[in-house]
Order: sequence, then C-alpha cells, then structure tokens
Amino acid sequence: MNGMIKKILIIDDSPIARKMLKSCLPKDQGYEFFEAGDGKEGSVKYQEVNPDITFMDLTMPVMSGYESIEEIIKNDANALIIVVTADVQMKAVKKVLELGAYMVLRKPLNREEIQSALLKVHDTLQGAG
Amino acid sequence: MESSVLEDNILTQDEREILQEIMNIAFGKSAADLADVIDAHVELSIPFIKSMQIPDLPEYIRSHVKDYKLINIVEQKFWGKFRGDAILVFSSGAGKALIKMLQSEESKSFDSEPIDILESETLMEVGNILIGACVGKLAELLKDIVSYTPPMVLVEKEYSEAIAHGYYDHDKKAIVLKTDFSFDTGNVSGFLFLVTTNESIMWLKESLNTFMDQYE
Repeated sequence: MNGMIKKILIIDDSPIARKMLKSCLPKDQGYEFFEAGDGKEGSVKYQEVNPDITFMDLTMPVMSGYESIEEIIKNDANALIIVVTADVQMKAVKKVLELGAYMVLRKPLNREEIQSALLKVHDTLQGAG
Repeated sequence: MESSVLEDNILTQDEREILQEIMNIAFGKSAADLADVIDAHVELSIPFIKSMQIPDLPEYIRSHVKDYKLINIVEQKFWGKFRGDAILVFSSGAGKALIKMLQSEESKSFDSEPIDILESETLMEVGNILIGACVGKLAELLKDIVSYTPPMVLVEKEYSEAIAHGYYDHDKKAIVLKTDFSFDTGNVSGFLFLVTTNESIMWLKESLNTFMDQYE
C-alpha cells in the first residue's frame, strides 16, 4: 500500500514520543527508520538519509521544529514533513504550513490518523512520480 | 543525599519520559484552549519533571520566579485518582495585560468594574482555562476523572507573601511537573507547576505504564 515510502525520519526530543509514533506505523511495510533528538540533528540527518517522509515535533531543544523545517525546506523544497505536535494553536498550525510542512497531526497519535496520513503521502508521491 | 536517593526511587527514567510527554500534550491542549479566547500565541517550553520532598517545594518554585519582583498566583487543588495542586505563577502586570487582551475580544465589556477586581477575575478565568485544560487532559490520557476546588488568586504579591499560605507542608514527597510559558505579545510569562503527592504516586506509576502498553 505504501510501497513508495521506504525511509522515515522521526525528529522529536522525546524518546517516548518517537516510540509512540513508530508503534502507530504499519509493521509490515519494511520501513527503514531514522531518528533525531532535536531540530539541528534532524536537519543534518535529513541531508544524510534523504527520507521519503519526516515526522517533526515543534518544541525541541537546540533547534525548534520551526527552524528545522525552514532549514530542510531551504535545501529540499519537495521535502514531505508531517508535523506531529501537542501545540495545536491556530497560529502554530498556520506558521508551519506557511514554512512548507505537508500536514499537521495532533499528539497523541493513533494508528488511523497515521494510516490516513501515509495514504495521502502515497498519493502525493504517486502524483509527483 | 536523602533527597537524591528519594528522587531516583519515585519514578523510573521511562516513567519520567512518559509523564513528560503526557504533560507536553496536556499543556499543548490548555494553550490551544486559551489561544481560542485571546489574540496571542502561547509559547511553550519542554516540560520538566522533578521529584522532591515537600518542604523543598517552596524554595524550588522561588528559584524559578526569583526574577519577578511581584507575582500573581492562581492555585487550584484537583482530586481524582490523580490528585494534587496546580500552581500557576504569572509575571507582574499579567493581570492588566490579560484584561487588555480579553477586552478586545469582549468589546470592552469590563469597563465598569474596579481594576483590582478585574485583575483578580481575569487571572482566575485564564488560570481556570489553563489549569482545567491541562489537568483535565492529563487525567483523560491516564483514564481518570478529576474534580477541582474553585481557583484561589493572589494578585501582585511578593513571593514571600504569596507562600505564607503554606500550601505544601501536608505530605512528605512530591512529583513536580513544570512548564514555562510566554505570550508572543511579550507582556505575559509564567510557570505552571503541578504537584502531586504520596497518595497519587503509585497510581501514577501504574497509569503511566498502562498508557504506554497501547504503544507496545
């Protein structure tokens, strides 16, 4: 179903949040996961692994999700970044979408929301291909 | 020494990280609820969890608010299986700043009331939104339901005066959840401390582990 998605990068300072997110992703798709604990490390990791999707938290030490999105998009305008955040204030959502995030999901995640997001990404990748 | 041993024993590293993430989600909810009624974005910090003995709590809070000459406090007790105190500390001037923000939404409907009453009522209302949404979401995620006492408000007090109420000396140890916040308008900042004590700690530990079971 999600055959076009191979590499997934998860950027979140909370190891628990990364674990929660991974557990919501389908187990049978053979995804290769990469993780980063802050926005700066995430931007560097993005350049290294060129993931098909990036899941990004916003409130992080060292470099925030906002700055990290900016940096990633600056180098790859086609980056597919799904913001996964507890900060669901309208201004936050509007700002990340303006910065180029693909969509925003609210914490805590559930499997249905993730599945739906992956299907949308799949359609986008198929359209682009 | 005893304090550090105690701290190590209350929550495991995993439990601390789960609680931190749950607090992050809960305060995100309360910030969004507040942003719905005021024209400001509430900037959030990464929540911080600390275990300590109750007598150390006033000094711990003081160390965070020492840059504020005067403070405003909204305090609410909550109880369910998760029980404790929510202490919301605002910087000086927050009451008047919040009145202005709310006035633009409410078409200056507060103009007829004395300013000190307005400050108190505004802090109470904003405190109620932040505390209720945060504690309520935290309880919901841990499958609990909590009730609250009415908010108690202290307006523009020195810290030593504010803690004279002696809220905290009724138990032996506590888990403190702290979140810093500031408004993008630049005129309001503060801290939310959630303090839960002996009665809730075992329940909290079990609930945190149950919460993570769904993600295994």
